[in-house]
Amino acid sequence: MNGALWVAHLLVGIPVLASVLTLALRRTPALAALVATGAGLVSVVVSFVGMAVAPTRGVNLLQLREPLRVGSIEMPFELGSGPSTVAVAAVVAVVAAAVLVFTRWYLADDDRLAQFAATVLLFTAAMMLVVHARDLVLTLVGWEVMGWCSYLLIGHWSRKESARRAAHKAFLVTRVADIAFVLGIVILAAGAGSTGLDAVVAHWSEGGVEPWVRSLALAFVVIGVLGKSAQFPFQDWLPDAMEGPTPASALIHAATMVAAGTVVLAQLFEVLVVADGARWLLGLATAVTMVGAAVLALGQSDLKRLLAWSTVSQVAIMLSALATTTKELGPDPALFHLWSHAVFKSLLFLTIGWLSVVAGSTLAVALRGSANVHQLARVAWLFGLLALAGAPFVVGGLSKEHVITTAYEGAIGAGGPGVIVLAALLVTVVLTAAYATRAHLVVAAALPDGESLDDEARMPSAPVIVALAVLTVVTVVGGLVLLTGLFDIHGVSPWWMLLTVVLILIGGGTVWSARSRTTDGDPRDAFVRTPRQRALADGGLGFDTAYRRVVVTPVLGLARVVAFLDREVVDGYVRGAAASAGIAGWLTERGHRREAASGGVALVALGLLVAAGTAVLAWR
Amino acid sequence: MTLQMQWSLLLPVLLPVAAMVLVLVVDAVAPRARLAAPVIGAFGLVGGAVTALPGLVATGPRLTLCTPAPDGRCLWDGGPLASTLQVAALLATLAVLALMSIRRAGVIEVVLLLASASGAAAVVASRDLGTWLITLELATLPVIALVAWRDRRAAAHGALTLLTTSLVSFGLLVLGTALWVTATGDPTLTGQSLAAAWEAPETRTLAGLATVVLLAGLAFKLSAVPFHAWTPTTLTSGPLPVSALLASASKLAAVGALVVVLAPYDAVVGGRPGPHVVVSALVVLTVASMLVGTVMALRQSEVVRLLAWSTVAQAGWILLPLTALTVAGRQAAAAYALVYAVASLVAFAAVRAVHGWRVEDGRELTAYRGLLRRDPVAGGTLALALLVLAGLPPGVIGLVAKVVALRPAVAAGLWPVALVAVVAAVLGIAVYVRWFAVLFGEPEAGAPARPRSRRASLAVAVVGAAVLVVTSVLPQLLVGLVS
Repeated sequence: MNGALWVAHLLVGIPVLASVLTLALRRTPALAALVATGAGLVSVVVSFVGMAVAPTRGVNLLQLREPLRVGSIEMPFELGSGPSTVAVAAVVAVVAAAVLVFTRWYLADDDRLAQFAATVLLFTAAMMLVVHARDLVLTLVGWEVMGWCSYLLIGHWSRKESARRAAHKAFLVTRVADIAFVLGIVILAAGAGSTGLDAVVAHWSEGGVEPWVRSLALAFVVIGVLGKSAQFPFQDWLPDAMEGPTPASALIHAATMVAAGTVVLAQLFEVLVVADGARWLLGLATAVTMVGAAVLALGQSDLKRLLAWSTVSQVAIMLSALATTTKELGPDPALFHLWSHAVFKSLLFLTIGWLSVVAGSTLAVALRGSANVHQLARVAWLFGLLALAGAPFVVGGLSKEHVITTAYEGAIGAGGPGVIVLAALLVTVVLTAAYATRAHLVVAAALPDGESLDDEARMPSAPVIVALAVLTVVTVVGGLVLLTGLFDIHGVSPWWMLLTVVLILIGGGTVWSARSRTTDGDPRDAFVRTPRQRALADGGLGFDTAYRRVVVTPVLGLARVVAFLDREVVDGYVRGAAASAGIAGWLTERGHRREAASGGVALVALGLLVAAGTAVLAWR
Repeated sequence: MTLQMQWSLLLPVLLPVAAMVLVLVVDAVAPRARLAAPVIGAFGLVGGAVTALPGLVATGPRLTLCTPAPDGRCLWDGGPLASTLQVAALLATLAVLALMSIRRAGVIEVVLLLASASGAAAVVASRDLGTWLITLELATLPVIALVAWRDRRAAAHGALTLLTTSLVSFGLLVLGTALWVTATGDPTLTGQSLAAAWEAPETRTLAGLATVVLLAGLAFKLSAVPFHAWTPTTLTSGPLPVSALLASASKLAAVGALVVVLAPYDAVVGGRPGPHVVVSALVVLTVASMLVGTVMALRQSEVVRLLAWSTVAQAGWILLPLTALTVAGRQAAAAYALVYAVASLVAFAAVRAVHGWRVEDGRELTAYRGLLRRDPVAGGTLALALLVLAGLPPGVIGLVAKVVALRPAVAAGLWPVALVAVVAAVLGIAVYVRWFAVLFGEPEAGAPARPRSRRASLAVAVVGAAVLVVTSVLPQLLVGLVS
C-alpha cells in the first residue's frame, strides 16, 4: 500500500482505537483524557507525514482489490487521498488535538470527562472517514456517526433540560435533512451501479445522463448538506447547540460536523458543477443564510451564540463558493476557506471558553473587559476576529478573497447563482466586519478602575496556552499553506482586495462610531434598540416556533391519526378474526360433544351423505 | 399366468414379514427370551428401510410383478416416491417401537407393529386394487388391536370407535374398488384404462363415483373431516406410542394409498371434461379438515387431544397439493406428510418423556409451564416440533413444507383453496404458539415429576429433532428427496 493510503487508514483508525481505549479507561478520567490527548497529538504527527507524502494532483490513488458486490451494486469500500484531502485532514487533526488539550483543562472536574474525550475522538474519526472516503457508503457511515456524536456532545451536560433539548433538536433537524441525503446517495449509487466515488462521478458527470435526474440527486445531497451545515432553513439547531461544552462547540464548528458538507460536495464537485438545479438551490440557500446569520450575529446578547451565528454565515460562504465556481476554478477555494475557518474558529471558541471561565458566563455583559486577564487572550481574540472579518493577509482574509473572486468569475463566466451570491457576499463582508468589531470592543474594553482579573486559579494549564498560541500563529501566517501547493488556487485581483478592505472599514467604522452612542459601551444597542428586538435576535427570528408549528405539530398530528387507524381500524380486523375463530371453535366443539363409539356413526352418516351427494351431482 | 419377479424390490415388505415370522418362532421355541422379540423386530424394520434406500436415488423404472407383454401390467412400483414413503413408514414404526420401551414391548405388540409396518410399506408400492386394498387393511387393522391391548375401559372404547370407522371405511373401499373395476374393466390402477373409461360418459361417471367413494374410505384413514370423529377419542384413550403410530406411520400409509389411487388421473387431468368431481371432493375434504381441525385444536387444553385435532388440520394440508391432481402435487403431499410425521413423532416422544408410560391424566397445557427450564431436552425438542408444525422459523422446514404444499394448488388455479389454507396457517400458528408460549416462564411447584425410564423417548425426540434441524438448514434435502 502506498504511504499516503497508510496515512489515510491510520488517521481513521487511530482515533477509533483511542476512543475505545479511552472509554475502557473511564474509571480513571485523568488517565483516559491523557490517552485521548496523546492519540490526538499522534494523529497530528501522522497528518503532517501525510502532507509530506501527499500524492500529486491528478494521480489516482486507490487500493487494488475486488469490490464487494451486493446485488447489482458494487461496493469498493476504499479510502483515498489527494492534495486537498491531506490539507483538510491535517487541519482536522490539529483542531481535534487542540480541543482535546483544552478539554483536559476545561472539563477537569467533570465526572464524565473520559466519555467526552472518547466521543470527541470518535467524532474526529468519523470526520476523517468522510474526508478520506472514496465510497459513498463510507461517507454515509461517517456522516451518521457524526450526527450521533454531535448529539452526545451537545447533550453532554444532560442534567440540564436546555442541553437535552438542544441535543434533541440538533439530532432531529439534521436527521430530517439526512432523509434527503440518503435518498440522494441511493440515486447516485443506483445510477452508477457502484458506490465507489470515482464510478459515481464518472457516470453522473458524463453527457448521457438526464439533466433533471442529476439535478434531483444532487439537490437531495445538497439538502442533506444544508441540514448538517446548519444552513437556511435548517439553521436554528446550531445556536442552540451552544448548550454543549465549549470544546464540543469548537470541534463541531471548526473542523467536523458543519464542515463535512463542504467536503462531500467538493468530492462530488464534477457532478455538482453540471447540475444547475442543485447549484441554484445551494446558491440561494447560502446567500440567504450568510446575510441573515450575519445580521443575527450582530444582535446576539450572548457572545458564544454570536460565534455560532458567525459559523453559520461562514459555512454559507464556503458552500457558496461551491455553488458559483466554474469547472476551471474547481472546489479548492471552498476547501481553502474551510481550512482557514477551522483554524480561526477553533481559536475563537477556545479563547471564549477560557474567557467564560474567567467571567463565569458567555453573556456579553459579563464578558466585558475579560480579555484583560492575559495578554495572550487579548491577542488571540483580536487575530481570530481579524481573520473572521476577513482582514487582508491573515488566513481568513485570504480565503475570503478567493471565495469572492470565485463568485465573481462564476457570475461573469458561467450561469448559475453567481450574481446573487456575489451581492450577498459583499453585504456579508460589511456585516461580518461589524459584528467582529463589536465582539472585540466588548471583550477588550478597559476595565473600570479598581477592578482586576488577576486570578491564578482561572489561568489555564501550560498546554492550553501553547495550543492557543499555536492556533494564533497559524491564524496569522496560515495563508502560507498556499505555498505548499496543496490547494489548487488561482490568484486574486488587487482591485477586489481593495474593495473588500473598504467594505470592512465601512462595517467596522459604523460599529466603532456607534459605540459612543450607547450607555454601556456595547455597540449592539445602537442597532437593536427595544427589548422585543433583542428577544427576536436571541431567538433566531423565531425559527424554533416555526419548526414546531410547520413541522412538529403536523407530524405529531399525522402520527396520532396513524396510531388511531392502527389501533382502532387495523387492529379491529385482528381482534375480529380472533373473536370469530373463537366462536367457530365453540360452535364446532358443540358439534363434537358426544364422543361415543356410536357417536362417530352420525358423522359417518354425514360423510356418506356428502359422498352420495357428490356422486349424484356427478350423475349427469 | 406367470409373473416376472424381482425380489430385491419386494424386500422392504418381505423383511418385516420375515421378522414377524421369526419373532413368533422364537417365542414358540424360547418363550423366556423376552428381549428377542423387540430386537428381531427392530432389525426387521431397519433391514426393510435399508433395502428401500436404493429406490431413493434410482433414476430408471423399478417395476416388478409384471404380467407378460404385450399388454403387460406391473403390480409393484418401487420408485423414488414409494421408496421414500416406505423408508419413512418403517423408521416411524421403529421409533414407535422405541417409545413402547424395549422391555415392555411383548411379542404381541412387536408382531402387530411389524404387520402394520409391512402393510404400510406394501400399500405405497402397490399398483393393483387387490394388493392395495389388502395391504391397506393390513396397515390399519393391527393398530386397532394395539389400541385395545390395554386393560383400560377408555382404551377399549377408543378401539371400538376405531373399529367401527375402520369397518365403514373398509366397506367404502371395497365398494369403490368394485366400482373402479366396473368402470375401467381393469384391476390395476393405470392411466390408460382410466383414460379409456373417461371417454364414454357412462363409465366416466362410474369412474368418478368410484374415486369419490375410495376417497371417502381413505379419508377415514387420513382422519379428514367429516370422517375424523374417531381421531380425538382414539388418540387420547389409547397408549401414547400407538397414538404416535396413528399420527405418523398410519398417516404415511394413508398418503401413500391416496397417491396410488390418484396417480392414474394424470392421464385425464387436462382433458375435457376434466375430473371436476374428484377435485371438488378433494377440495371439500381439504377445506373442512383445515378449518375444523384448526379451530378445534385452538380450544383444546389437553395436549394429546390438541395433537389429535392438529392431526385433523394437518390432514387438510396433506390433501391440499393433491387437489391439483399433478405429479408435483403428489410429491408435495408426500413431502408434507414426511415433515408432519417427523414433527408429530417428536412431539409425542417429548410428551411421553414428560409424562412417563402410563399417565393418562394431568396432560394439561398447564403442566408444561416452564418445561424449557426444568427439562431442556424434552422442552427444546417439543418447542422445535411445535414451531415446525406451525411453520415458523427457526422451524424452517415446516414453512418450506407449507410453501411446497401451496404451490401445486396455486399452479392449478385453485386460489380460493389457497386462501383458506393461508387463513388456516395463521390460525394454526395460534394453536401451536399457545403451547409454545407455555414452555417458557417460571416452572410451577406442582409440575409432574420427571419419569425414570425415558431414555428411549428422549432418544426418539432428539433424533427426530436433529432431522428437523438438518432439513431446516438444508431444505433442498427434503424437496430433492421427493421430486
